Amino acid sequence: MIEAEIKASKAKNNASWLLTAPALIWLMIFFAVPYLIIVIYSFLTADIYDVKFLFSLDSFRQAFQSSYLRTFFLSFKLAFMTTAICLLIGYPVAYFIARSRETIKNNLLIFIIIPFWTNLIIRIFAWRIFLSYNGVLNEALMRMNLIDQPLEILRTDLAVLIVMVYVYLPYMILPLYSVIEKMDWTLLHAAMDLGATERRAFFKVTLPLSFEGIIAGSILVFIPALGAYLIPQLVGNQRSLLVGQVITYKIKNIPRNWPMASALSLILLFVVAVLLILLYLAYKSRRRGGSARQGTDLVQRY
Amino acid sequence: MDEIRLEHLSKEFSGFVAVDNVNLTIKGGELFSFLGPSGCGKTTLLRMIAGFEIPKQGRILIGDQDITALPPYKRQVNTIFQNYSLFPHMTLHDNVAFGLKMKKVAVTEIKHRVMEMLELVKMQDQAHKYPDQISGGQKQRIAIARALINKPQVLLLDEPLAALDLKLRQHMLIELMNIHDVVGITFIYVTHDQGEAMSISDRVAVMNEGRVIQFGPPDDIYERPSSIFAAYFIGETNLLSSEVVTVEDDYVHLRSPIGNGEFIEFDSGFKRVPLVRQKLATSLRPEKIAISRAKPRAQDDINSIRGVIEDILYLGSHTQYIVRVGNQRIRVFSQHKRVYFDEKALDWEEPVWLFWHDSDTWLIEETPSPEIASGERFYESTGHYFRTTKRAANP
Repeated sequence: MIEAEIKASKAKNNASWLLTAPALIWLMIFFAVPYLIIVIYSFLTADIYDVKFLFSLDSFRQAFQSSYLRTFFLSFKLAFMTTAICLLIGYPVAYFIARSRETIKNNLLIFIIIPFWTNLIIRIFAWRIFLSYNGVLNEALMRMNLIDQPLEILRTDLAVLIVMVYVYLPYMILPLYSVIEKMDWTLLHAAMDLGATERRAFFKVTLPLSFEGIIAGSILVFIPALGAYLIPQLVGNQRSLLVGQVITYKIKNIPRNWPMASALSLILLFVVAVLLILLYLAYKSRRRGGSARQGTDLVQRY
Repeated sequence: MDEIRLEHLSKEFSGFVAVDNVNLTIKGGELFSFLGPSGCGKTTLLRMIAGFEIPKQGRILIGDQDITALPPYKRQVNTIFQNYSLFPHMTLHDNVAFGLKMKKVAVTEIKHRVMEMLELVKMQDQAHKYPDQISGGQKQRIAIARALINKPQVLLLDEPLAALDLKLRQHMLIELMNIHDVVGITFIYVTHDQGEAMSISDRVAVMNEGRVIQFGPPDDIYERPSSIFAAYFIGETNLLSSEVVTVEDDYVHLRSPIGNGEFIEFDSGFKRVPLVRQKLATSLRPEKIAISRAKPRAQDDINSIRGVIEDILYLGSHTQYIVRVGNQRIRVFSQHKRVYFDEKALDWEEPVWLFWHDSDTWLIEETPSPEIASGERFYESTGHYFRTTKRAANP
């Protein structure tokens, strides 16, 4: 009897393996294997056109030279600033949408999503026109007599920051919105009932309860911002490259250096992984309640 | 202990009148209930006392202090919310301590008072847990502790037992009464459950469509409902459309149509109302009517009528008989007291006598709707009121 049940449940397990197999095979071919190739390449010797199959640690040694460290530092700085600004702008927006009436709510959400309907490159080119030396922004500021001569915004880190905030803001707003929207508003009333002013109730209740959204949104913004290629390539300063650009150059520009590109990718991956694990541990130790479990699920998913 | 006065209190939500000119004085230290069906405005009233809604008109006073426009955090009023609204990101200890932290009370004192409060609600050994690790009844206790630690003048309870199952509800009801005795402050309790309201309250205000239609001690409201709504909403009743025939010194003689031009005639011991020929509603509580196969002994102050048993519902503690009297249906509750049994049990379609005392014929000065008068509303209305009582399940 029991044996039969165990057999049945085993059969069920086999069936579920079958169902997940296509996805697993897909991941193996297009995720695990390429990563393995990157790992192998990072320990090979560079050649002008491709690689020599000779073991070498040169790439990792070079990666810790000051010029690359500067690249990493700049990339992290911009990604961090992008995340922080997105959070500062995105939180009030998400809060406002979440607290709006149902009909307005949906319309506002559509406004957040509409930019995705336009190709990213086209949107970035629009920003180039807007920010350029003879562009719309400078023209407008000059006309208003706020400046005497055009500002050099395009091809600076500031331009990269502006466009990254613009592109990644929805990725911050949407997870924040979904968390704030689900929040039980009577908790705010409870806090005020117990003597908290609106401001204190926000910092003691609303903000901590939207922590999951803040983490999810920050991860969704920080990681693509860190590896950004298109935006710095199109609006950024070409004398100080970001890590995404460096990797691309090492792959396509002759003399090529595929081991270097692989090593940089791995280092980037490693740093992000360490950050995520630290975040996960910090979150886990923050509290062990049931909703904390939900939270870590969210973090794990990203 | 200061009394709470509600003066001409009104509230509208975009044209909908939620609370309509409520005037009430709640005595200090009283356990006062607002009872009414959902949407009757009782919760809105509570939220105005808590400070979450600003009345359109009228004033709320605690003692001599007008608190109508004070924000919630400046009122000496605390609330137990319907779903407890415990902060999920804080331990039970921190939940209870929240109010004191907001008032910047010294840490050592907070610790001391939180433990004291947790002991009052018997949760002292669970202080480190989070709200999602405890049961509904325990959440309820923490919500009580979290509110009472602020030493409010008034505790507001918004359907506090609605989320609990029956047994736990009965248990918490007694516990709430005990806590009320211990802390001695004013409790204002909002519920749609007449059983809860009747058993717990010193006084009850029955609300309907934004208005307080009657208030007083529970037995007063049950025995002497002033309107058809109150008679129906509190407990169960038989409502007959009657006409006054004669008014004597110590009783009123009435008659009610039962179709085909026939009438039943009976007396009421209450004669505060009527004029001869006046139409009014008669309320007969089902448990006050006796049912028997044999004709009762004739007595001046006993009314008796004849009917036929249409349906018998065995309900455990009592049996409900639905008795057809002409085109009317009268419900009778009969308890199974063996000492009264001297004959075999009553059967379907059996002719029976119904009899009751004069003083149990309660008169309501309100003309019943034609549907009630013709008996057509019986199944619809009893269906509705069965549901109410099932939910209520008097503890």
